[in-house]
Amino acid sequence: MKTSWQKCGQGLAGVLLAATAATGAAWADKANDTLRVAFTKELENVDSYFNSSREGVVLQRAVWDGLIYRDPATNEYKGNLATSWEWIDDTTLEFKLREGVTFHNGEAFNADDVVYTVNFVAKAENGVKTQRNVNWMESAEKVDDYTVRIHLKEKFPAAIEFLSGPVSMYPDEYYAEVGPSGMGLEPVGTGPYKVVSVVPGQRFVLERNDSYHDSPKGQPSIANVDIRTIPDVNTQMAELFSGTLDLIWQVPADQAGKLAEMDRFTVKNESTMRVGYLTMDAAGRSGDTPFTDLRVRRAVNHAINREELVEALLKGASRVVSTPCFPSQFGCVEEAATTYEYDPKKARALLAEAGYPDGFTTELHAYRNRDYAEAIMSYLNAVGIKTDFKFLQYSALRDLNMKGEVPLAFLTWGSYSINDASAMVSQFFKHGSLDDARDDQVLADLSVADSSTDPDTRVAHYAKAIERITDQAYWAPMFSYNTNYVFTNEVDYAPTPDEVLRFTTMSWQ
Amino acid sequence: MATTEPLDPLLRDIAGPTPGQMMRKRILGHQGLLLGAVVLGVLLFVAIFAPLLAPHDPYAQSLMTRMEPPVFLGGDWAHPLGTDHLGRDYLSRLIYGARVSLLIGAVAAFISGVIGTTMGVSAGYFGGRVDMVVTFLINVRLAMPVVLVALAVVAILGGSLQVVIVVLGLLLWDRFAVVMRASTLQVRNREYVAAARAIGASTPRVILSEIMPNIANNLIVVVTLEMAHAILLEAALSFLGLGVQPPTPSWGLMVSEGKNMMLFEPWMVVIPGVVLFVLVLAINLVGDGLRDVTAPENRS
Repeated sequence: MKTSWQKCGQGLAGVLLAATAATGAAWADKANDTLRVAFTKELENVDSYFNSSREGVVLQRAVWDGLIYRDPATNEYKGNLATSWEWIDDTTLEFKLREGVTFHNGEAFNADDVVYTVNFVAKAENGVKTQRNVNWMESAEKVDDYTVRIHLKEKFPAAIEFLSGPVSMYPDEYYAEVGPSGMGLEPVGTGPYKVVSVVPGQRFVLERNDSYHDSPKGQPSIANVDIRTIPDVNTQMAELFSGTLDLIWQVPADQAGKLAEMDRFTVKNESTMRVGYLTMDAAGRSGDTPFTDLRVRRAVNHAINREELVEALLKGASRVVSTPCFPSQFGCVEEAATTYEYDPKKARALLAEAGYPDGFTTELHAYRNRDYAEAIMSYLNAVGIKTDFKFLQYSALRDLNMKGEVPLAFLTWGSYSINDASAMVSQFFKHGSLDDARDDQVLADLSVADSSTDPDTRVAHYAKAIERITDQAYWAPMFSYNTNYVFTNEVDYAPTPDEVLRFTTMSWQ
Repeated sequence: MATTEPLDPLLRDIAGPTPGQMMRKRILGHQGLLLGAVVLGVLLFVAIFAPLLAPHDPYAQSLMTRMEPPVFLGGDWAHPLGTDHLGRDYLSRLIYGARVSLLIGAVAAFISGVIGTTMGVSAGYFGGRVDMVVTFLINVRLAMPVVLVALAVVAILGGSLQVVIVVLGLLLWDRFAVVMRASTLQVRNREYVAAARAIGASTPRVILSEIMPNIANNLIVVVTLEMAHAILLEAALSFLGLGVQPPTPSWGLMVSEGKNMMLFEPWMVVIPGVVLFVLVLAINLVGDGLRDVTAPENRS
């Protein structure tokens, strides 16, 4: 078996050699210190405030730094661009900044950069893609060159978590000049890797930042990272076989299982914070839909065999999730959630009670994992909910969802790897454009939980919100994702459970 | 019953074989046609009697028995052709998929046949301005890339069996129009047409009973070609996710769904691919054979 695969790999290698020679793709490897990585999705914009995909988070962590850093192993907050911080009052944070840090373009990092970045992103009209990441900040104020204060709109205990995650610091002069579109094409940060070139939709080339400051992220080891967008996983694997890629990630469970049987590759599986769920139009935004009826929503919850999905399709470190957040997140109280066991009979009975003894037909939208969507569809069909399947690009589906035109959708949310329930449940249930439930009671509890500084109050109110959301079955939370990282034996890497690919901690064997 | 009485041997020598006998002889002597017809017949039978023949419900999902290999790769007889990525029986989905393919092929060819034949025959028979307009329309249609237009329309309207059938039906009439126009031009000035006109037959009557029967052999060939064309296009659209939507079993969709595991489980792509190939080949053999046995130049 193995030898036939090796032959197959060699054959493929020949073909791909010819192909890469024809397209002029770079031919590099450990010998010239270049790690070649594949991204599945295109990025809308490399500027991390103006994209909302996982690939964007990966680049953000490589190119930019935040004031604080959370160690993924210990969950301890460490100073990154800031050396220390303290709460002046409930809504003011003061930071002492690290001195001697320079941006990739030579600009020195100081309080002006923090003030400019925070004031820019906090302004809603500047249109940061995920408002949740920044809209808790009011403004920033310079105390002296290396002291800065961030004013919050209201009490927001997750501030430290957000500042160690999606809020990264941009160079004020450069950003003022080029704006988000310029930053997207020629990104400049303080991070462990500099961006050498960006070919939108195709390729990103990174180079080690040799003068990287003494950051808790550690010093980068591999000199160059060459990232190409390759949407098809078979193509990614073929390139991995032929030696034109060193690392691929987000590899589906079935393929990862087969790759693990081959000696040349290391397969590592890690859980992620990404939760897969069905959202139902409980508020009736898409017109007259059956999902405004609680019994229908509960029927959907009962129709899905979550255990089977996890065991047979997702595999690895995935688990059944019944909360509208990832259970490791602070405030994501699992005990508060109503769980719906797999019971197709009960689902049918609930549908009949709601006036649909023969079921009904609904649109089902999805944007990723077509196979999971099909399996879910099959469960729904089995209880009489017939589906008109629509598979869209993420951005297209998000727009439709914002306009409230989606009765039922299979969606996922990775919380930007923020280990706080507010990053998920508050993103979707506070009457924003993506809120299909619009429940006032949930809004009230989340508002208290999001703004309280007392951990016990927060937990209590998140628990109440989760109880209400799951009791009303606004969503059908299903499972958490896992990620398979597959790399050649030349690469040494220990993935973290937050779905962030960290080039800084990778090295050659 | 005078006709069934054995003819006097002498008389039969003079009369020669009847046209029916000659036709039967040509059909039976044409291997390609016979092979195509048998294969097509089997597939038609399978499609019509799918509920009786399929060993399992093609929609029944069983995630615990996913991607079991077919018998010839070490699987068991419970699923002779294995199971797909959701544990559905591959053979049953193939059998039901035959319905989708044949239905789309037949209906799309029928719709485009009606449109194209009407246009082509009118252009050929009436000539002049009618011909100019039809020729212009044909040129417009030929300038449009079929796959691209089909993709765009399906993307806007959303993919479903009905949409795919209508879109393909409305797009594939060009060959009918071109061939029917040329064939009509060939026969419109024949003596029997002139004779029919001379005895005062109405235009519809001339077209239906004098022209159509004499160009029908060409029509049949185009029908088979377009049927095969429509089946392949449906598979292509479904493969791209814009054709028939899951969970409907369609061969194109099966290829698409198997594609993810292509490197490790090639049979998932090969099986529906081969069946699709066999169906299209059979239809083309039948079309080719029908042309051979009905073409007037071969009647001597």
